[in-house]
Amino acid sequence: VVHHVVVWSATYFYVSQSDKGGLIFGGHIDRYNSYAQRGNLANWSETMQGLASLVPFASRLRLLRSWGGIMDMTPDGSPIITTTPVPGLYLNGGWCYGGFKATPASGWCFAHTIANDAPHPLNAGFTMDRFDKGRLIDEAGYGPYNHLQ
Amino acid sequence: MLRIHCPYCGVRDHEEFSYFGDASKSYPGLEAQNREAWVEAVFMRNNPKGEHHEFWQHTLACRRWLVVRRNTLTHDILEVLPARERSLNATQPAPGSGPATDQGAHP
Repeated sequence: VVHHVVVWSATYFYVSQSDKGGLIFGGHIDRYNSYAQRGNLANWSETMQGLASLVPFASRLRLLRSWGGIMDMTPDGSPIITTTPVPGLYLNGGWCYGGFKATPASGWCFAHTIANDAPHPLNAGFTMDRFDKGRLIDEAGYGPYNHLQ
Repeated sequence: MLRIHCPYCGVRDHEEFSYFGDASKSYPGLEAQNREAWVEAVFMRNNPKGEHHEFWQHTLACRRWLVVRRNTLTHDILEVLPARERSLNATQPAPGSGPATDQGAHP
């Protein structure tokens, strides 16, 4: 029933359909530091409301399972895809909540970074020391406050 | 769902509050020129698994700023103090706040 990944920015909600037929959907982060990996009722409610608003018939479906994890947030909300001071060690992380959808492009850039031991121009700015140097990639416009993202 | 005991309003759902992150940091004086001190204050966070001092504001009610001591693994809320009271008592000099405190004297 859903042929694409649908992202709805009004509440931060996304939904897609797996090959087995189930709908996979998710919503916002907790907005506070947590290692609990279980989410909370307020976020569940917001996510369910997102689905029911966007795809009303889905309100009659059963929820099979749910998942909560730890998001690797960076201060400016953008990932780190870079070489490191340790030879042979490369880092691709800090994806905040955007990782899955950007995987093809970021994987390609990361492979280029590893093969050449130097970043591709596309990910040259996504360094670890950009915070120290004041060269943030501030796409969301929240500055260095990842709890606002 | 967290339930936070606001010292002014009583126990409320966390949906009434806004989260403002680590309360254990102290910032250099505005005139401080020391870049390392600013980087440390603005960007570096310990992000502990366990007890965490953090700012919350009771945005949808009294709008007071609070410092909450919360366990980030179990979500137990151990203490809630008005932010002002906590800074006056300053019983817990937070980890990592040491080097950044007296940079204001920098010319």
